[in-house]
Amino acid sequence: MEDKYSSNVLSGGKLGMVEVPDSRLTRYIVLLLVSKVLKALGIFESYDILKVVHIVQFIFILKLGSAVILLFFQKPFSSGKVISKRQWIKLLKHGILSCVISLLGFFGLTLCGPLRTLLLFEHSDVVVVALLGVLFTNSGGGPSKTRGAAFFIIAVICLFLFDNDDLMAKMAEHPEGHHDSALTHFLYTAISFLGVADHKGGVVLLVVSLCLKVGFHTVSRKLSVEIGGAKRLYALDNLVSAVVLLPWVVVLSATTDSKVESWSALILPFGMIIFSVMILEFYVEAVCCAKMESPRCARYGTIALFLSALLLANFWTHPLTDQLRSMSKPPQQVSTEHVLSGGVLVSAVFFIMSSSILSSPSRKGQKGTLVGYSPEGTPLYNFMGDALQHTSQSLPRFIKDSLKQILEEYDSRQIFYFLCLNLAFTFVELFYGVWTNSLGLISDGFHMLFDCSALVLGLFAALMTRWKATRIFSYGYGRVEILSGFINGLFLMVISFFVFMESVTRLVDPPYINTDMLTPVSVGGLLVNLVGICAFSHAHSHGSKSCSSHDHGQSHHGHSHSEHSHGGHGHSHGGHGHSHGGHGHSHGGHGHGGHGHSHGSGSGGMNANMRGVFLHVLADTLGSVGVIISTVLIRQFGWLIADPICSLFIATLIFLSVIPLLKDACEVLLLRTPPEHEKDLNIALEKVEKIEGVLSYRDSHFWRHSANMIGGTIHLQIMSDVVEQRIVQQVTAILKDAGVNNLSVQVEKEAYFQHMSGLSTGFHEVLAMTQQMESMKYLNDGTCIM
Amino acid sequence: MLPLSMKDDEYKPAKFNLLVKLSGWFRSILADKTSRNLFFFLCLNLSFAFVELTYGIWSNSLGLISDSFHMFFDCTALLAGLAASVISRWRSNDSFSYGYVRAEVLAGFVNGLFLIFTAFFIFSEGVERALEPPDVHHDRLLPVSVAGLLVNLVGIFVFQHGGHGHSHGDEGHGHSHSLFNGSLNHGHSHGGDDHKHKHGGHGHSHDSHGGHGHSHDGHGGHGGHGHSHEEPHCHDELLHTPGKGSSKQILQGVLLHIIADTLGSIGVIISALLMQKYDLMIADPICSMLIALLIGVSVVPLLKESIGILMQRTPPSLDQALPECYQRVQQLQGVYNLQEPHFWTLCTDVYIGTLKLLVAPDADTRWILSQTHNIFTQAGVRQLYVQVDTAAM
Repeated sequence: MEDKYSSNVLSGGKLGMVEVPDSRLTRYIVLLLVSKVLKALGIFESYDILKVVHIVQFIFILKLGSAVILLFFQKPFSSGKVISKRQWIKLLKHGILSCVISLLGFFGLTLCGPLRTLLLFEHSDVVVVALLGVLFTNSGGGPSKTRGAAFFIIAVICLFLFDNDDLMAKMAEHPEGHHDSALTHFLYTAISFLGVADHKGGVVLLVVSLCLKVGFHTVSRKLSVEIGGAKRLYALDNLVSAVVLLPWVVVLSATTDSKVESWSALILPFGMIIFSVMILEFYVEAVCCAKMESPRCARYGTIALFLSALLLANFWTHPLTDQLRSMSKPPQQVSTEHVLSGGVLVSAVFFIMSSSILSSPSRKGQKGTLVGYSPEGTPLYNFMGDALQHTSQSLPRFIKDSLKQILEEYDSRQIFYFLCLNLAFTFVELFYGVWTNSLGLISDGFHMLFDCSALVLGLFAALMTRWKATRIFSYGYGRVEILSGFINGLFLMVISFFVFMESVTRLVDPPYINTDMLTPVSVGGLLVNLVGICAFSHAHSHGSKSCSSHDHGQSHHGHSHSEHSHGGHGHSHGGHGHSHGGHGHSHGGHGHGGHGHSHGSGSGGMNANMRGVFLHVLADTLGSVGVIISTVLIRQFGWLIADPICSLFIATLIFLSVIPLLKDACEVLLLRTPPEHEKDLNIALEKVEKIEGVLSYRDSHFWRHSANMIGGTIHLQIMSDVVEQRIVQQVTAILKDAGVNNLSVQVEKEAYFQHMSGLSTGFHEVLAMTQQMESMKYLNDGTCIM
Repeated sequence: MLPLSMKDDEYKPAKFNLLVKLSGWFRSILADKTSRNLFFFLCLNLSFAFVELTYGIWSNSLGLISDSFHMFFDCTALLAGLAASVISRWRSNDSFSYGYVRAEVLAGFVNGLFLIFTAFFIFSEGVERALEPPDVHHDRLLPVSVAGLLVNLVGIFVFQHGGHGHSHGDEGHGHSHSLFNGSLNHGHSHGGDDHKHKHGGHGHSHDSHGGHGHSHDGHGGHGGHGHSHEEPHCHDELLHTPGKGSSKQILQGVLLHIIADTLGSIGVIISALLMQKYDLMIADPICSMLIALLIGVSVVPLLKESIGILMQRTPPSLDQALPECYQRVQQLQGVYNLQEPHFWTLCTDVYIGTLKLLVAPDADTRWILSQTHNIFTQAGVRQLYVQVDTAAM
């Protein structure tokens, strides 16, 4: 489903796939669905049987029964090639492997119950291969596959962590209770050695055996070609595994006494399980894969299987179904059924979604976007991927790449480190709050988390700025940082407004504040924020090149850095924090001043993003300083009014410090001529006018696009007898000196307007207008240029 | 070239006169329909807030006072819209060579952001309350929220009405055009004025004629400016395809804000009723969470659009048309290649494009230039800058 939207509309028809009309396939789909439902039934039934029958015996009976039936149908010995000795050996290995896998699978069934087993174990190969492809290779196949893999992982985690099964807890208490063979004992000890509850162990076991199964199927494909067909291989495989299991079963039944009272009562269920789980499903799947594409087959099959499993799990222990099954049922044991919990439901939903996404056919190689037309008129596609498909990589690689990108540049590295610090502090606070059950700490932690969003925004903007220009965003994404700075600034303004409002109401009626918890937390926050201020004001002075006291500032910064790391190691918190408060504060001011300076002198790289983040951190710091001061005042002197006054003061301070940022960002967004280049540009324009052959210019627009790009457009009117190319070169060079690095010059001669007027009658007015303007322009030349 | 340079300070006002300035603002606010509507609605809102505040202080109810502060905060959205609609009509000067038209996009963006913030806060509060429903005093709530609902309904009616006329612009020349002229094209492109001339014969909406004369003054006095805007002027009638220009960021933002407020009041009323009748305390947080979600979802398109414009995105409405235009330009005689096409939106319905053409040495550049202009004009790009580069032999 998702793929339908993510594949580009412009790419036209589906090239690779031929869609067969559904009506012809309906038979097969219905067949598939029925077989899957039967399979689910069979698994549920076998869970019941496994309570009385030993697992090895159970598997032996299954294998033997299906081998007999398959031998009858396939006749592997009387038809086809004769099997050589080497192939027999391969078959033996194959059979042992398949025994192991079914042992693991059915053991997982006894641990987890039928529903969870179906959810975990019965994924078709296509899905798992796609999943592994997304996770461990870099040719994942688009963001939709990544999404599917994420769903899958979420589902497994849901099943692993959030599935509170009462039965499981009960069984986990006495894991030594009822296993009756060396094998199960071994597995139990392995699981308990890992230190997880045994149903969680079952989940892990099933996932592992799922991967094994898929690998096994892939390997066996080669063998099946050698042997002569998958069906023949399957029949022989069942036979061989039955033979392999035979000695074990004999030993088992000789040494242990069976719990089964009458084997005859079990014949019917065994027959049903053999038919539904082993034979029908195999044949139907083979036929459907031949008729439809296997991904589609997998999708329908998985959904049917999961849905029927959910339904069955709901109704299996229902009294009504108990009645229905009563005749074929072995004597019911203690009613130990696995309950349906919320975690299972959620994970089932996620499993269904992920398998439908992962099994949807990938449209690789057709995802081009139209970039234009060749001179012959054939459409040209761009296969490199467009802006929104940046995530079409495998997950670990994506994370690695983005980390690398983050660490590449100074700004984003700084933000990232600080974000990590902040998050760590927040989580410590949250955990401590949950541990000590203090609501204040928890709410403060959430507040910090919310603050982190500004940092995340800044980080994202710093990353996005470096994206390459696309067809849609033809100037590149440089403006993101300005937008992010703007948003951060606005955000701060809103916050300061609210703080102001609240402190006004508190000024009228000062509430009593419990100051016990406040100090350590706010000191911790202050320390974290001070580190941030140091880092960012450092970046700041880096960014602004023409800071007069650059060297001095840097040495100072280095100093303060070292001191801070000391502070982090645990000193006397209060005093240190205070002295640092002054320090950091003055530094913030310093950085700010430097910035303003560079702005004035006109050579600073303006980075609104960093300024926004810096201001945010500064605001936080001021907040904690205010809290500390007011706490001290309240404690020492009992001035309850100190708190609102402090916050009033801080709100005003934040508000005032945000205004320059907002003003700059607004100017950039309103396409103002960059103030620091204005003078240069005017001089350059005068020069342009003086170029030989240039009559005049009009529509000169210059604007700052991003920190390091100034765009410009200009129309030039030139005499009809000069070479245009030379003029364009000259003008470009002059304006480039003035700082414009993305310029387009339109050169017009007198005849241009005649052409324009010749093209359409509406342009007569243009011509008249232009001439009129021309004459006026000469009159008040000075005003229109300057 | 006559070197008639004039001193800048002659153009500056002699001294700052507050009264003159205020009356100037007032006049410019009343000059067109959008800002007038905004202004009146702002006045209504403010008076309501003041009534609430005074009544709250008089009856010493904290809830009323805080609600009135909330109303004041809401008014900032209106104020932003109003300021933007006035600012966007300022004439362009040397620093702002495109004029201030982008203020409307910016205002829409800011309004959208505020709404997102509000929705977020409401949502988090709703979650908090859902976990632990507080005891809400619903006896005073109902009349206040009903009154707020009424005020907001008036606002919705006014702006919907305006927007309605706006979108019907081409059938009903009546008062819809006055809005169109006044708000959209008045200050920055004189195409609107030209339009006005044409339809002036139908005889309506004399109020915006005042504004019309006003802007013509600017036209004469500011030669350079008028000059730069002649292209929109001429293309306007070519390009006046129906159905364009129906969405404007300011109006959209303000309307969304008012709708959000209205939803808020409706939610409060519903939950108050539910709480009174059935004692369902959970109704309040659920209502507020739903409303927050609704607001958040409805703001997303506005934000997306305005971010696209602010980031100089290629206009979505031109997405389909541009490849065809490129193809046509490349098929012109003598054009080798088309490089660095940049197309972006200045404000609603004003598109600007720059591109570079690599042409053969012997090509007729003037013809190519005018043809290119013609092609892109038909696609809707009003200002085009074509740099013609001659290929080396």
